[in-house]
Amino acid sequence: MRNSLKIYKPFTLTGIQEFMIYKANFLFFIGGEILFCFITFFVWKAVFNSSSSDSFMGFTMTNMVVYLFMTYLSSILTSSDAAYAIGEEIVSGSIAMRLIKPVNYDVSFLFQEIGNKIIITSIMLIPVIFGIEVYKFIVSGEIQFQWIHFLTYFLSIMLGYIISFYFNICFGFLAFYLKNLWGANMLKESIIRFLSGAIIPIAFLPQTMGNILNLMPFASLTYTPVMIYMGTYNISETIFFLGLQVFWIIVFFGLSKLIWSAAIKKLCVQGG
Amino acid sequence: MRRALRLYKVFVSQSLKSLVEYKVDFLTGAISFLINQTLNIAFLYIIFSQIPNLIGWEFEQIVFIYGFSLIPKGLDHLLANNLWKVGYYIVDSGDFDKYLTRPVNTLFHVMFESFEVDALGELIVGIALLVSTVGSLGVKFTVLDLILFIVIIPFAASIYTSIKIIFASVAFKTKRSGHIIHVFYMVNDFAKYPTTIYNNLIRTIITYVIPFAFTGFYPASYFLTGENPLFNLGGTILIASVLMTLAIFIWHKMLRTYESAGS
Amino acid sequence: MIHVENLKKDFKKTLKDPGLKGSLTSLIKPKHEIITAVDDISFTVEEGEIMGFIGPNGAGKSTVMKMLTGILTPTSGTCLINGKNPQEDRKKYVKEIGVVFGQRTQLWWDLPLTETYTVLKEIYQVPDKQFKKRMDFLNEVLELQSFITSPVRTLSLGQRMRADIAASMLHSPKVLFLDEPTIGLDVVVKDNIRKAITKINQEEQTTVILTTHDLSDIEELCSRIVMIDKGKNVFDGDLKKLKVDFGQSRKLDFEFDLREIESVTKYCETMKEKYNELSYKIQNNKVGIQFNSDEVTVKEMIQTTLSNVNIRDMVMKDSDIEEIIRRIYGKEVSLNEE
Repeated sequence: MRNSLKIYKPFTLTGIQEFMIYKANFLFFIGGEILFCFITFFVWKAVFNSSSSDSFMGFTMTNMVVYLFMTYLSSILTSSDAAYAIGEEIVSGSIAMRLIKPVNYDVSFLFQEIGNKIIITSIMLIPVIFGIEVYKFIVSGEIQFQWIHFLTYFLSIMLGYIISFYFNICFGFLAFYLKNLWGANMLKESIIRFLSGAIIPIAFLPQTMGNILNLMPFASLTYTPVMIYMGTYNISETIFFLGLQVFWIIVFFGLSKLIWSAAIKKLCVQGG
Repeated sequence: MRRALRLYKVFVSQSLKSLVEYKVDFLTGAISFLINQTLNIAFLYIIFSQIPNLIGWEFEQIVFIYGFSLIPKGLDHLLANNLWKVGYYIVDSGDFDKYLTRPVNTLFHVMFESFEVDALGELIVGIALLVSTVGSLGVKFTVLDLILFIVIIPFAASIYTSIKIIFASVAFKTKRSGHIIHVFYMVNDFAKYPTTIYNNLIRTIITYVIPFAFTGFYPASYFLTGENPLFNLGGTILIASVLMTLAIFIWHKMLRTYESAGS
Repeated sequence: MIHVENLKKDFKKTLKDPGLKGSLTSLIKPKHEIITAVDDISFTVEEGEIMGFIGPNGAGKSTVMKMLTGILTPTSGTCLINGKNPQEDRKKYVKEIGVVFGQRTQLWWDLPLTETYTVLKEIYQVPDKQFKKRMDFLNEVLELQSFITSPVRTLSLGQRMRADIAASMLHSPKVLFLDEPTIGLDVVVKDNIRKAITKINQEEQTTVILTTHDLSDIEELCSRIVMIDKGKNVFDGDLKKLKVDFGQSRKLDFEFDLREIESVTKYCETMKEKYNELSYKIQNNKVGIQFNSDEVTVKEMIQTTLSNVNIRDMVMKDSDIEEIIRRIYGKEVSLNEE
């Protein structure tokens, strides 16, 4: 086990180095995300101002701000480039280079991206959470932060990332079948954004719809961790949703293996 | 002028042909676009189910503004899409050289090559939203309004184009500017909401610095309320013209620093 | 027709130390280095000449080509083509030139080939009748008929190159700039392309500047050669002069009776020991001796060989241009000789 982990370490180092090279890209990425976050913030602010009461469907304005920015942080932490990276490798043919190495295809990608994530997390996690807590303290005199919630949040984020990774792998393998992933990618992005509660907290949606969405994998990406952080779930609910995350990891992991074995046959047929 | 049209014809027909060829790609793109739009409207609907109005604006009005903002965006997407490619890879790969060896204005050349049929979707949805809300708004639209609408749309669209031109020309110096264009482009999302919801800083930015507010909210609000035509319409025309002049100037200035790529 | 005087081009390169520290320092205090890619190049090309522009990789050939085609602006110096300056009135200037970049295409990737020509017709404002005549001519000379309706992205390299050359000639330019037009092509296609260039040059007195690494291109097409290295002019003259100035390398091929193989081998060995730059190769009953005419003159070589060997048949080969170039690139020859 230790030996096989050693094989993957260079991939992680590559991931870290890649981040250094593409830091401009990263900055623009989070810049874009934060724009979106602020637009949503202002819209909700206007909504709260237009509402007759202090709270909107159980949320106060401060809650909403915490929710929005935690979602922003969480979506960056759990995002995965795997679909894009795989699509690129397939189209350019450099997938051959990775296949001839004595490593598991997806695990090599995973470790590479983990390198990336380590840096991003160290840069963003503390400042954003700190900023949110300061805001909340200034506005309401109390802070959201509780150690147990934070630690569970962190666990949930890691689970969420792995779901995101394997989901994206399955999606990336679509490149074997569709030449151009652009349209499908837009669809994936907008669906995930909506269904993971980035625009509207799932709690706001009509009862039945909300229940269904809660069980779907997208909620497990960012909604679950954020809710945990905000202390909205009690212990049994927390355990349930964490377990749900694990469930989805298994599902997408298995699915990716299935698609992989089907796709690899197709690749061999097309090549040569 | 006639020459331009003849050049365009080739690329338009090609774009249509490739649409037929890449049916699957086109369909997935179209479906995802529609779903995207539906989700956006659904978001508005859910909000409005709980509040009577959004700082004075009603649901249909907001949808009108949203639909309105899609049209200049779509028009620019239809006619000037190549500018993205310039920023993303055309300069970086050295492929831009060929534009300099042709006896046409480089900017014009880049533009007439781009005809993106996909953009018709944005136009159709935008118009559909306008048409569907116009009825329930009870506002009387006259022939004059229609003429003003047709006049103002190209100006609003040119704001998008100007911004793309400016940031694409950065690529002449830095080889790649695609991601910069992308971020500034995303600022346009602010334009589909009334500017009154934003704080002063943002309002100033989207009105005077990266004037996307003139592509959606300001002109649309004129057609809804008839107020402030000088600012809402006149402002659009003025800002669009100034920005376009600036953009063309910057493009040619940056072109002079172009150093080509590769050997 | 083409007049280049004291052409110079500098590039500013940012120096960056490796690693994270380097990235940070380059952000705060950027270091620059000036690289002179083209250093005082001058030459004149007459109308109707086909000029070969050669030099090792990185010598500055492409940079000069780009300045002549209006893509880059010179740091100093002038270039005039048919009296016009490429930087001043780009659009007018560019109408009279045609350009082919060997490694990149001018054609529209997704369009069928004929559409590219239709668009170019509009861009260069070629009148209908002339266009038709031109297309017929190019079709015939470059054999485009078989793939002219295919989308450009489906063409093979040879087809694409032919199509690119046709595209550059469509508007009957006065000057043709060909940057590595035969790179990566097989012998048959290369031949076709050379024939096309020759034909155009003959029929229309098109001036051609050709950069290439293929020396047979030069031998077959170019009457004139300009060689540059490290941005400087190394040689400027016709092919004959190049051979005379630098071409001391000679080859003597002869046939002998196999029964005499021992004495022939002994002879070759003796010659090899006597002359430093002499080498030989024996294959069956044939021998090839490579020698430097500075060390042993052609006359001597022939006389010695005839008196020592029973020759069946003999051929004296002229300086191999490849050898010449190789020696110049390898700086075996003093640069002062011109």
